[in-house]
Amino acid sequence: GTVVDATLKQPVPGVNVIVDGTTNGTTTDFDGNYTLSGVNQGSKITFSYLGFRTQTIPFTGQGTLNVTLTEDASELDAVVVVGYGTTTKKDLTGSVALIGEDDFNKGNNVTAENLLNGRVAGLTVNTGGSPGSNSEIRIRGGASLNASNDPLIVIDGLPVSNVANGTRSIISSINPADIESFSVLKDASAAAIYGNRGANGVIIITTKKGKQGLKVSFDSQASVSRLTDKIDVFNAAEFRSLVTERFPDRVDLLGNANTDWQDAIYRDAFSSQHNLSVSGALADNLPARLSVGYADQEGLRKTSSFERTTTSLSLNPRFFEGNLKIDFNANLNFERNQFAPGIEGNALQFNPTQPIYDPNSQYGGFYEYTGANGLILGNVPRNPVAQLMQTQDIASVRRYYGNFKVDYKLPFYEPLRAVVNLGLDESTSDRFYEVDRNSALGTNAEEGETLGQRSDTDFKSSNRLFDAYLVHTKAFGDFNTEVTAGYSYQIFENENFTTNNVRDPNSAPPENTISPDVVLLAYFARGNFNYQSKYFLSASIRRDGTSRFGPDERFGYFPAVSGAWQISDEDFLKDSETLSALKLRLGYGITGQQDISSQYDYLSRYGLGDSRSQYLFGDQYYTIGQPFFRNAGIKWEEITEYNAGIDYGFFNGKLSGSLDFFRKESNDLLSSAPVPDGVNFSNQGFQNIGKFTTQGVEFVIDYNVVSNDNFNWNVNYNTTYIDREINKLAFGQDILTQGISGGTGNTIQVQREGFAPNSFFVYRQLYDTAGAPIEGAYVDVNNDGILNDEDKYIAGNGRADVTMGFQSTMNYKDWDFSFNLRASFGNDIYNNVNSGNAQYGNVFRTVLNNVPTQVLETNFVNTPDVILSDYYLEDADFLRMDNITLGYTFDADKMGKGTLRLWGGVQNVFVITDYSGLDPEITNNGVDNTIFPRGRTFLFGLNYGF
Amino acid sequence: CESDLDVTPEDDDELLADGFFENEGAYKQALAGVYANLSLTSINDPGGSNIAGLDAGTGQYIRGLFNLQNLSTDEVIWTYENDPGLRGMQRNTWSSDNPLILGVFARASYEIALANEFLRQTTTEALSGRGESEELKATIQTYRAEARVLRALANYHLLDMFGKAPSVTENDAVGFDQVPELVGVDLFNFIESELLAALPDLIAARQNEYARVDQGVANMLLAKLYLNAEVYTGTARYADCITVCETLIGSGYSLTPNYLFNFMADNNTNGAQNEIIFPISNDGTNTQNYGGTTIIIQGEVGVPENNGESLGVNATGFGGLFRVRPEFSRLFTSNPLYRNDSRNTLITADRTEEINNVGNTAEGYIITKFSNRTSTGGFGSDRTFTDTDYPLFRYADVLLMYAEATLRGGGGSTAQALGYINELRERAFGNTSGNITQSQLTLDFILDERSRELYWESHRRQDLIRFGVYSGSSYLWSYKGGPQTGTAIPQFRELFPIPNQSLSSNANLTQNAGY
Repeated sequence: GTVVDATLKQPVPGVNVIVDGTTNGTTTDFDGNYTLSGVNQGSKITFSYLGFRTQTIPFTGQGTLNVTLTEDASELDAVVVVGYGTTTKKDLTGSVALIGEDDFNKGNNVTAENLLNGRVAGLTVNTGGSPGSNSEIRIRGGASLNASNDPLIVIDGLPVSNVANGTRSIISSINPADIESFSVLKDASAAAIYGNRGANGVIIITTKKGKQGLKVSFDSQASVSRLTDKIDVFNAAEFRSLVTERFPDRVDLLGNANTDWQDAIYRDAFSSQHNLSVSGALADNLPARLSVGYADQEGLRKTSSFERTTTSLSLNPRFFEGNLKIDFNANLNFERNQFAPGIEGNALQFNPTQPIYDPNSQYGGFYEYTGANGLILGNVPRNPVAQLMQTQDIASVRRYYGNFKVDYKLPFYEPLRAVVNLGLDESTSDRFYEVDRNSALGTNAEEGETLGQRSDTDFKSSNRLFDAYLVHTKAFGDFNTEVTAGYSYQIFENENFTTNNVRDPNSAPPENTISPDVVLLAYFARGNFNYQSKYFLSASIRRDGTSRFGPDERFGYFPAVSGAWQISDEDFLKDSETLSALKLRLGYGITGQQDISSQYDYLSRYGLGDSRSQYLFGDQYYTIGQPFFRNAGIKWEEITEYNAGIDYGFFNGKLSGSLDFFRKESNDLLSSAPVPDGVNFSNQGFQNIGKFTTQGVEFVIDYNVVSNDNFNWNVNYNTTYIDREINKLAFGQDILTQGISGGTGNTIQVQREGFAPNSFFVYRQLYDTAGAPIEGAYVDVNNDGILNDEDKYIAGNGRADVTMGFQSTMNYKDWDFSFNLRASFGNDIYNNVNSGNAQYGNVFRTVLNNVPTQVLETNFVNTPDVILSDYYLEDADFLRMDNITLGYTFDADKMGKGTLRLWGGVQNVFVITDYSGLDPEITNNGVDNTIFPRGRTFLFGLNYGF
Repeated sequence: CESDLDVTPEDDDELLADGFFENEGAYKQALAGVYANLSLTSINDPGGSNIAGLDAGTGQYIRGLFNLQNLSTDEVIWTYENDPGLRGMQRNTWSSDNPLILGVFARASYEIALANEFLRQTTTEALSGRGESEELKATIQTYRAEARVLRALANYHLLDMFGKAPSVTENDAVGFDQVPELVGVDLFNFIESELLAALPDLIAARQNEYARVDQGVANMLLAKLYLNAEVYTGTARYADCITVCETLIGSGYSLTPNYLFNFMADNNTNGAQNEIIFPISNDGTNTQNYGGTTIIIQGEVGVPENNGESLGVNATGFGGLFRVRPEFSRLFTSNPLYRNDSRNTLITADRTEEINNVGNTAEGYIITKFSNRTSTGGFGSDRTFTDTDYPLFRYADVLLMYAEATLRGGGGSTAQALGYINELRERAFGNTSGNITQSQLTLDFILDERSRELYWESHRRQDLIRFGVYSGSSYLWSYKGGPQTGTAIPQFRELFPIPNQSLSSNANLTQNAGY
């Protein structure tokens, strides 16, 4: 028979064709043809291929059995890529979410992670406002207190490093249009196959492959983004009144201009993205895909931009009737980033009665505050527009990544496959930073020198992977087995060179820094078993070693076991129309975390000082040598996770979803913890002390409201509840975290046993009878008559308890309409913009400074008295509409050839919140100290394909 | 392939210990590392720190010393009380969570750890094992004595401020051992014995390289120890103090003719090097940090005066960090005589003497004692980081100690004591107009005179305690204990609390009474 796909009626090569319950099977050739012999009457033949719905057809003696596969990734039969192999959604025992192309978010998705923002229960993506911005990605809240909480990202089997140099983020250089699917391994039973890197979950990205049959697609979109809101500060007229009233002896410092400094630093930002891909068979029998993409995004903040050119080539030949599969993926991507300095703080503060430009200014024609000597003053804000215009900070990144995978089914022993995957990820980045010579920001500008600043930085990083594993698949009657065992070796190298500021005569000289290699080496094995496809058991173990730890601690075992029971296949439910699917899943696993900032503490190392850190003996400066902190026993964090879930479906899948309960215990937390004084080379260092627990519930429901020839409407909702508690810290000691602005070295959060991480640690504000806060008056919590550090208390925390996502997708005839919403509840934000600025005492500091109008509510004068008040904690709950899109498709009949879809949409449509600041969705663990604002974006695009 | 997991550092600035000591000059580099901790906060970045729990610059050795010894007294006030720990420090309401106190305890302990590591790496066995020459071994013997004095110095600071220290020497392992504490008289005896043991191996006073420890430094430490022995141990040692002071006086030190030369960018060469017994080196190009004289000079700059340029830094400095409290300024303003005192560097114009609002930079007088200008009017090598070395110990203090110990009945000659005091006064006034008489030479006078001579040199708290007026209500200064009028503080605050973090990580440390 022949296998073709439903949409294009083109042959599909490489389709697995297997007689159920046997090892009798084959794969389709380049023309989609297959031959199968020795099939018994009444057997069932299953056709499966990644990205298509699996079909099972009873064999009734047909001579030819032609099959049409429907493209679909979201169905139960969809193939799910897991670590070192694939499975189907139906066979899953762990908590794994699969997001295929059809499920991707629509709209303005410049970076890959935004394709799945809000789509997966337990996965949060918080993307900043800068162009091509990096995102804070968390799976089930992360597992670590002080080490990384970033999930492991694996591209076509290649785990990538989380070191992003010069680039906006580790995945910003990937073209989202090249991605076929994401697998999100959420619980430890799924992630444990990645051992000491699985602690924060794993996101596996699978890129598009070549297929038989010519297919061309062209996508193009253009957008404009506008500022939605500004921080409320006094306008020029209001500011004049304020100064006249409260600082009558300073009115001479008022200017005559009317400047809105926030308007002056932002712009309407234009962006576009274009992608062209061609897939088909070269020379008739070499499936290949080539894609070229270009994205150009401006930031709202003037001068900031992101430009990306991507090329991707995929070759997927199959030999020996599909027994030898070769996949070759190569990507060469270029990124050009212009970074704009963070000038929001200066824009808030800068006197609105002063002009942007001053024709008499020696500082490039920009107004700056000068002193009696005509030179710029220190300790005053600099003109934020000048900062933007006089700074060039541009990084050019070239990144090559790809893999070469050979999957060979041994001819002499059919059940056995051997897989070898070689991966490479290399990037070089060249970043230069220059401040104009006539800028007030230049080196020694206060002394009247016109040096500007200049530095060049080169980054080089490489990541090489060798994986080899064997897969043994065999059925014993109704008992199906698949056993995988293998070896993995990966090495990461990083090097950077910086000239430092070459215009500063006292700066450090050029410096080349080579990081020690990180070598990761592992042996792993997994067995998947099922009986009658009803009772599933999966068990895996990985022995993982890392060069980050000493010989006695570097190897660890990471086991996992999980099981599932397809209850709906039992006789008592088999025929139920109402409850069409029901599966119970239970999982347990141990994962690790070895990614800590402080590497190689187990070695006895000495560091040599640089040129700024010498010491004088006599008349000669000596380079100093000092020993580094040592911890011979340092090892990985260990996370034990339990997961219980059910997958359900009603009315033949019209209503479906899942419910998961999980509990994660993070042990041996790598924490920078106190060290007994005098016995080591710091008072704190990374140690395996501490424990914390995360518990949560995830709920997903998907409902096909209407489904007929003309009208389809699907809605999908997911919600996650997460509860975190620190159980144990080093020596029971509080750890103060999360620096804030205002003062030097202030912190606003604490890690304390019995409380959630990122708990705010503040003074309890006292109010007068009228309900107004009394400046500097707090509750003497411990009642000792002295107000000091011991009177701070814990008030709320910066991480949401509940997050939700909602999507609606509608198709009516040739029209499509979709939108999605996200919500977040239960966390607080510390409004550092107000706490650090909104006091009258800040209006005059050497020069006049603007302050937020919030000062009118408090009448506070001194920042020092109020900065740690719980008055500045605000409710951060929000509901946001991320995107709304309307499209129209001109179908093939009308077009002659191919299809054309035109669409328009709005990104960041609205936010409903009580938060008084700019945006309640911030990173920084709940401390808002000005952000790169997110604009509202209007988009128009077209998709053309044949 | 598992051997691939044994990686080694590849960077030229990071070496395994054995590899490091194979390099030529490594021992002197390691010794420089022990000294450098008195000035630097990290090995490569003035904004970085090798101790944690507070801002890098705030955790610098001298800045910590200044905060505890000066800021907690009548000599100075810090404008920005939103900097963590500052309010508690200057209003004497600190708790055991105060980061400034943590910084001092950690930084001094780190000095002990560095000295111990140096001693551990330079044992006879270690040197022989590396095949070092006899000549180098002899040189290293001196280095080792210097490291012992630096370790004694850190222990002395812990004794003075905390009354105790972790008992740790080169014989303890590097790691996480909870070592015992050494308290009061035991710590005193340890420091004394270490200094006495190191003396024979040290180079004679003023004969070593500039900024390195010599016998003068060891003797100076002994003198300070003996002067305060009654506070530390309950047993007075004034006679011993006088003996050591006499040794120092006979060691060839001399007062530099211009008092202010001691505090200038070229104080390593302008003659002040004859007076400064132990300088902590600072340099705008080569030894950059946000503590030491950098914070002092930048902090002296007044707002609205913007007088930074006259002090060799940028006009606005660090925005008016420091003012002096009125009780200190009255040491100079209450008697017109002191208008002619070259030690009087107060700027009073358009300023109030009283400070009604700590955050108001225009209230309270400012001073210009420390400067990044040179004796010839030039500038230091950088306008942010200063070149001025911090005079941790000065010869002037030896003369004051001699006089005080004599008045306290330690022996010596009162006539000689008066002569020494008038030597200081003549230097200060440029003539004999400020000279005092024998009857004026009282302990009360000494306390005031020490402040006039040594203000902002990290002596004040120790002096006030020795004179019995730090705690209690016999002497109230502005913001003592909290309110502007000052209030009594309990005696237990004569010692700082052991930081909670240090207590928790070492169960053998005990908290000081009262905390």
